[in-house]
Amino acid sequence: MRTFRLSDAAFAALAAGRPSAETIAELHKAQISRHLLLLREVTQINPKKTPIWYAEPLPEAPRSASLSDPMKALHTSATLTALRAGSTPPGPTEPSPHHLSTTDAGLTLRVRLEDTDPLRARLGLTPSRQLTGQEVDTWRRLLAEAWHLLATRHRPAAATVAAVLRVIVPIEPDPGSAGLSATSAEAFGAVALSTPADATALAVGLLHETQHSLLNATRTLFDLVLPGAQPTYSPWRDDPRPPFGLLHGAYAYLAVTRFWRTEAAASGQALAQFEFARWRSAVAESADALAGLLTPAGARFVRALRAEVAGWLADEVDPEIERLARGANIEHRVRWRLRNLTVDAEALAEAWPDGRPPAATPRAGHTGRALERSDRLDLVHRLLRDGDQSLPPGSRQRLGDDAWLRGAAGTAVHAYVQGLNSMRRATEPETPPGPREVDLWAGIAIAGPWRSVRERPELVRAAYLALPGQELDKIADWLDFSS
Amino acid sequence: MDRTADKEAAAWQSPMVDVSGMSLEELASHDGDTALAHCLRRLAAELDDPAEPIAGFNSAL
Repeated sequence: MRTFRLSDAAFAALAAGRPSAETIAELHKAQISRHLLLLREVTQINPKKTPIWYAEPLPEAPRSASLSDPMKALHTSATLTALRAGSTPPGPTEPSPHHLSTTDAGLTLRVRLEDTDPLRARLGLTPSRQLTGQEVDTWRRLLAEAWHLLATRHRPAAATVAAVLRVIVPIEPDPGSAGLSATSAEAFGAVALSTPADATALAVGLLHETQHSLLNATRTLFDLVLPGAQPTYSPWRDDPRPPFGLLHGAYAYLAVTRFWRTEAAASGQALAQFEFARWRSAVAESADALAGLLTPAGARFVRALRAEVAGWLADEVDPEIERLARGANIEHRVRWRLRNLTVDAEALAEAWPDGRPPAATPRAGHTGRALERSDRLDLVHRLLRDGDQSLPPGSRQRLGDDAWLRGAAGTAVHAYVQGLNSMRRATEPETPPGPREVDLWAGIAIAGPWRSVRERPELVRAAYLALPGQELDKIADWLDFSS
Repeated sequence: MDRTADKEAAAWQSPMVDVSGMSLEELASHDGDTALAHCLRRLAAELDDPAEPIAGFNSAL
């Protein structure tokens, strides 16, 4: 029996986010094979559960088409899981009638807008209710506009999307987010998306989620990550992620970075430069962080991914935009550490005389997905999109952020430290920092000179609260030296 | 093993069998196949430890 095989060149191109049409065809075959094997298991447990589309295929829906339908694959997987668990499998489903097709520059994208399948919630986020005709029209218009952008300016990526994407599941928006999306390993070619703000957001979302589908399909062929590793930092989430989740983020953002690189080169727009500068660093650092956590195939995959983004690290970006991008990445890491890590006060007191700061431990009580907004990042986006965001003269609100946006780091850090000092007495060391405190620590990290605040803010915070007689700069200086 | 050779492999060999052109009946006739058995064990392990949906991309724009 033939097993799948990819040449090293094809595997490396796939890892670099540039799979050939032949490689994508192999991934499709692998997914059809996977679906068929799951179906074999279903029918061996209960022959009556052979789906009607397989037992009695229609001329307009042959078995081959149904086997490659992501929602049918999801259904088969759910059926097998239920049968194995002794629970009731899902009933038969009917696909939605909303077939969207858009052609631009000779390239066609055909997708089904799936708003009826009860299993669509299994893509990970809350599905929207059944769409109205007007909502379907909105999706059709946005898809055509996004496709125009992709097909004309991002041609190779558009060809990959056209070859992979089959189903879009509209989901409920998140009030705290500009746009959400999700992908399931059980539904190759299906993505869940909230109604995008505009065509650019949709284009980026499609590229992003297509990468997740590609990586899931690659995972069907090859084990990429060693088992047993602890969840770790990911630049794209506020919760700890397993190594495969980190790889997913890096692979998805490789395509996002390439998109913004092209947009920045075409338009020179500040926002495009910012997104490019921010994500190229995040992808490269995440690839580096995966070292030691990968199988041989995974190591090869990440090496090719890293090589692709390495070629972009020397691209010129406006230094001021680069500063803001670097700040955004530092801020995210600081927020993540304060949210997820803590330092035991007793261990800190014991370690202090030896000059060897204690290690951080995971903070209890935080589990699951988290996405938090940063007001400062919103300000940066607005500055880059709309220009000057200076405060009115005399205003004392957002003093630190205002200075940070203007590049006045000294003024910014002074304002942030003042804000932190004013909260000091009311802050309990054992209590997780609230949003305002986190915001101030992140501000100090991006604007201040202290490596310890950037890299181990949870430790600096613990020391700052344990030593009420000491100024922050003295503590941070000392930890810079000793940690 | 996921690869054919040491270090710089010319190709990467997957444990996944290509049954994409088969029917369920044809598949049943291969029940004793070692590669198929290995592949089914791998799939079963995957089902026992499913990956979470990759959810939560925030376009931030």
